[in-house]
Amino acid sequence: MNILSRRSFLSHSAKLGLGTALASLTDVPFVMKRALAEGSIGLPGSNGRVKKLLFIFLRGANDGLNTLIPFGDSAYGPPNRVDLEIKKDPVQLYTALGRAVFPEAGSVAGTYAHPYGLSLGNGFAALHPSLKFLSPVYNSGDLAAIHRVGYPRQSRSHFDSQNYWETGAPNDNNTKDGILYRAMVESGLAYTAPLTGVSIGSSLPLILRGSKAAMTNVSDPTRFNLLAIPNTTQGNAKADAFLAAANQAEFANKREREFLRLQYGNLASSLEIFASMDFSEAGNTYRDDIATDGDTDYANANGGGYYLFPTTNEKNGGWRRSSTATRADKYVVPTSSYDFFTRLKAAAMVLNKTDALVAGVSIDGWDTHSEQADQPSADGLRGSHTGSHANLLRRVGWAVYALNKYFTRYADKCRWDDVAVVTLSEFGRTSVENSDNGTDHAEASVMFVAGGGIKGFEAGPLGEVIRSGVFNCGGSGDQSVPWQTGPNGTFFKATGRYLQRNTDYRSVLGKLIRNHLGATQEQLDRIIPGYAVAAESLKNKGVQTRDNTTVVGEPDFV
Amino acid sequence: MKTRWLSAWVESLAVGALTLGVSFLCSGQNPDSPVIQSIEAVGEKAKVGFSPAPGAADYRLLSGPDVLGPFAPTDATRAGLSLTGGDLTYAQGFFRVDSVPMPSNDAAVVNLLHRIAYGPTPDELDRVRAIGPDAFIAEQLAPENIAETLDVLDSAPKWKKVTVTGAATTSGGQTRIYIFMDGPGDAYVDNVRFVVGATDNGSQTNLLTNGDFETGLAGSWTVAANLEASAVTADFAQSGGSCLHVVASAAGESQSTAIAQTISPTIARGTPVTLSFWYRTSNEDSELVVRMGGSGVTTSVPLSGQNNSPAPIFSSLQAGTGTLTDLRAWHILHAVQAKRQLVEVLRQFLENHFVTQISKTRDYFDNRGYDSTQSDPISTRAELVENLRWQEALLRPTTSFLDLLRISAESPAMIIYLDTVGSLGNGTRIANENYARELCELFCFGVDNGYDQQDIVQISRAWTGWTIELVSTNDEFNPFAVRSTNYIDATLTNTTELNASPNLQGLWAFNYKGARHNVAAKYIFHQTKADGTVDTAQPKLIPARFGSRWAGKPYGLVLAAGQSGTNGIREGYAIITHMANQPFTMEFISVKLCRLLVHDGFALGYDFADDLHTPEEDLVYQCMLAWDSGSPKGQIRDVLRVILNSDLFRSQAGTLQKVKTPFEFAVSTVRSLRSQNEDGSYTSDSDGYALAGIINRAGRLRLFDRAEPDGYPEDAPAWISAGTLTERIRFVQSALMPVSMTGKSDAGTATVIDPVGLLRKKVPADKLSDAEAVAGYFSSLLYPAEGSANLDGFRTLAAQFLNTADDGVSASPFSGLAVGTSAYDLRVRGMVAFLMSTQRFHEQ
Repeated sequence: MNILSRRSFLSHSAKLGLGTALASLTDVPFVMKRALAEGSIGLPGSNGRVKKLLFIFLRGANDGLNTLIPFGDSAYGPPNRVDLEIKKDPVQLYTALGRAVFPEAGSVAGTYAHPYGLSLGNGFAALHPSLKFLSPVYNSGDLAAIHRVGYPRQSRSHFDSQNYWETGAPNDNNTKDGILYRAMVESGLAYTAPLTGVSIGSSLPLILRGSKAAMTNVSDPTRFNLLAIPNTTQGNAKADAFLAAANQAEFANKREREFLRLQYGNLASSLEIFASMDFSEAGNTYRDDIATDGDTDYANANGGGYYLFPTTNEKNGGWRRSSTATRADKYVVPTSSYDFFTRLKAAAMVLNKTDALVAGVSIDGWDTHSEQADQPSADGLRGSHTGSHANLLRRVGWAVYALNKYFTRYADKCRWDDVAVVTLSEFGRTSVENSDNGTDHAEASVMFVAGGGIKGFEAGPLGEVIRSGVFNCGGSGDQSVPWQTGPNGTFFKATGRYLQRNTDYRSVLGKLIRNHLGATQEQLDRIIPGYAVAAESLKNKGVQTRDNTTVVGEPDFV
Repeated sequence: MKTRWLSAWVESLAVGALTLGVSFLCSGQNPDSPVIQSIEAVGEKAKVGFSPAPGAADYRLLSGPDVLGPFAPTDATRAGLSLTGGDLTYAQGFFRVDSVPMPSNDAAVVNLLHRIAYGPTPDELDRVRAIGPDAFIAEQLAPENIAETLDVLDSAPKWKKVTVTGAATTSGGQTRIYIFMDGPGDAYVDNVRFVVGATDNGSQTNLLTNGDFETGLAGSWTVAANLEASAVTADFAQSGGSCLHVVASAAGESQSTAIAQTISPTIARGTPVTLSFWYRTSNEDSELVVRMGGSGVTTSVPLSGQNNSPAPIFSSLQAGTGTLTDLRAWHILHAVQAKRQLVEVLRQFLENHFVTQISKTRDYFDNRGYDSTQSDPISTRAELVENLRWQEALLRPTTSFLDLLRISAESPAMIIYLDTVGSLGNGTRIANENYARELCELFCFGVDNGYDQQDIVQISRAWTGWTIELVSTNDEFNPFAVRSTNYIDATLTNTTELNASPNLQGLWAFNYKGARHNVAAKYIFHQTKADGTVDTAQPKLIPARFGSRWAGKPYGLVLAAGQSGTNGIREGYAIITHMANQPFTMEFISVKLCRLLVHDGFALGYDFADDLHTPEEDLVYQCMLAWDSGSPKGQIRDVLRVILNSDLFRSQAGTLQKVKTPFEFAVSTVRSLRSQNEDGSYTSDSDGYALAGIINRAGRLRLFDRAEPDGYPEDAPAWISAGTLTERIRFVQSALMPVSMTGKSDAGTATVIDPVGLLRKKVPADKLSDAEAVAGYFSSLLYPAEGSANLDGFRTLAAQFLNTADDGVSASPFSGLAVGTSAYDLRVRGMVAFLMSTQRFHEQ
């Protein structure tokens, strides 16, 4: 089937459709239009490449205290965390300074055989063992782990709080468009480029939604084309041509019609752009360049490192040993995560192969009210370090590692230096576990930011730590509003029940949008309206007066 | 009503040097009136272009001597959105365009079929237009008076007719008809007719000899060895005195394995032919096939006669053997087929409002020793039971919101989903807050509406002890029943295996365990003191914004300490009884119903006390008054009556304001072309199973399996994006495909739509080759609220589609395609699929 030719019919409609909406802009030449905008969002830097962003939304509220674990605080552990407590390695000195621990499994042990928290080498914080693949990224200086992130008067409703994270306007239910949508609109890019923000998932997330321009969502990249009757090349061309013509038909105004028109326009342009990309399983050939996890046995049998995007058992870590032998404990991600990695691969490819600036995916299922971790088994293989939350974290850890490798080894339009990978999650979970081996809704949680341009861990020539890459969880990166330990400290500081924030999520996203993507401060004031309000203290240390909480302003991570 | 208009005045009348000036004049503001966009001279007439007005059946050009009127109609002719008429040589130089709206009842009828039903069907459009909107509202608001037999197994044998048309093909150079079965079994067949023509009106010559089986088979039909026990019998007859008893020992395929007859003389290839026959339904689990040699005309029918009926699925669900897949198919088939359409819309609303996640239920049972073949039906049953209880409640005239809330609170699916199942409040245990939070935020009050964290903590303590248990079958609705001790295998010696759930007979049901209950006093909806503790003396007060009817009233609830044993169960009921009729709940549920039925622009948190009222705010307030005035309070029908009779709902402005969810989209696709045939079959049908796929793919609407507790959204942005539009358009194209076409797997081969069959019933035979007539029929059928004058663009394109070859370029007159040929059939299918792939088909 000649997909390209039939899609060109559709694109015809899109351009006409777009023209109507942008009557005032269409007679301005492209270059001029970009010049009209401030800042450098979407503009190539001196190296000819464009800065990009990939977000991973952890929907359902991630338990930050079991993600970036404050081992330095005695409040962590019994009686507050018993069934869920991640144990300390009896031989590891968590107060020692240095690099993050990466318990390489080699060819012998299972991938996640290590049951203890992994020291990050800042004397205080540790990673959940399921996040072990963050350690190599951390040690190469490309990961910032930012704890205690939240916003004033934190809502403990998923619905509200996800909305606030996505609109960038906490406690404001009148803001209906997304923070990254506004970044695209403020730069002028959304009106001119056919593809700017892309999500790969069931529906377009609010963070990319807005009424003036359509961002793109691809539900299933392997099925992203149309059908027709008869379902032949010619039949498709005919159907597309008539659909293009029908898109021009004028109708009376109704509530959703402008919205539908924009979405049909975006459908047409994205079909055309994605027609040349191979999202299929057969195209998933991306591999690690080393014997991943020290697994030389696998590397020898399979001619290289693990696959970066596990989409089948065969491509899931070191499961496939040789032509027949398998080892389930060598999976790097749970077998239920292949959908996610199919979407992550598509998101990475979109940034790497097209001019899109932002791509995003989400992982659901973080609402761990019950059975957050397994009950301990006699052999020690199961316990607080395994179970539903651990399985979710494995996705995150491997995803960041895989993206690091993909944008390094397979870079085309986007290199690891050009991209920032950021995780979002609407709030954290209760400091004390509940009676169901779970945790309930709370306040501050953790964000990870990774990328070649991120100011992470840095060691000096003698191995001394110059910069830690851990923010707001002990160590030298925690000086501004330090973590107070003990039963009356930070652990319970928010209304006596929840971890207290010292960083606003908008300061993290704002810093990325300005310092990484290239917005001016004036643009940022419009993209995140809180920046223009002194009492929000988004840029510099200050008190957020809505609930009188001191925050650090922007962490110095990019 | 047409108060916004624009006039043009003629500066010079010199023909050939005519210039037009335009002046704007607006008095009043009705954005729904046409607005003149352009004027040009055509000879001595004016050609006036204008923007469309909603629901216009026609447009008129008026002219007058003065900008303020008076205006008189001209004899202008209309082409799409332009009118040419008037007389530029005469001093009537000012023009105005009026729309002639479609009858308001017609608009209301379409709106009702879009909102309290899963979209219009051709038959329902005819019926409801005839009885009018008020009668339809009255009918749907009293569903107990509508006879509904969807779930009733029809096991009494009866005669059914099957008709199939196509183009003649040959086998071995001859025209032959075969009758056989798809395996061993027997069937009764009568009155087989095979005629030339795309329809059989009964007057054509039956080309078959002894098709009525009034004499023996010898001499007319040949009988192959696998059918040698077949014979003409007088045991039954559709008409006359006898019929054919087909008795097969093995499956047939062609002449050597069929009861066959060769037609003489041979019919020329390509000639339109119609084959019809009657068969008697039975409990046989096999299919009867009657076909023509070659590939032109073939049909196979399941002898159950229950094709696409939810009844057999329902029996398996009730028996506890049905799976999630079955439940989805049953639910979808109800939406497609039910006469009680509003009950189906509301049941889906409730399922979504009181959302549960079956995969979490399944995990729960997987962890209790069941294997997945057991945990699926057990979890499915939990969903079925709550749905059947809601269905039963919706058939009672005075059912209130409290009744519906109680069904949800007692549902094992909910108890597992929001974690009360394992929540402990005894001693110093911290109760699980999940259900308490969503009870406030999502089920009753709405987010940030009249509650805070303190209330959630207090309520969560009251909800300790609400769990589930495996009890004897007759204890299903006894929450104090003990665990079943009826062993399936009583001989097991290992006591763990003996007492494991999979070895016990019974049902998993709501169960109250007092030992888990938190027996402290609870002060719900009370103020919080500065130190963060509850102020037991100060109940919360209803805020001023609710207006004098409610403002300032205390709504605290105190539950006394010491509720041990079975007494503690009362606390949960006391809370829902208290919450169900608070103004916060009235407001939130009214807003959600308005969003469901009117449009998405209703907000929570109106200030009912100030003087600034929008129509939306007023409607919510009227709903709350109706809620508060009934006895009992909160009757669902009272609230619905207010909404359905409101101006916002009934006017033309109320139509087409919403975008279909994937569920609504899939179901309405099937319904939009679904008309019942004489033999009881439909021109558009699906088995339900096939539709679950698209409903999931177009935005991950997984019925009964929503992960987040806020339910699937109603509003458009959640459902419409490039990816989901791709899935929707693929589905429509696939649904309209003939069964054998590549791509049919998207909609599933069980989704069968026959637009030509519909056309034959609704359009006179002499118009079947008229592209304009065919395009006109389908565009007004699919877009009945648009106003016929606004459909010119679509109608013209559809006709052009019919007159264009598959390459999209060459002319190929529709009139040149013989009715009944596959070329004709495909052209119509393609055109209908095109019309349904447009932006407009996503609206309702």
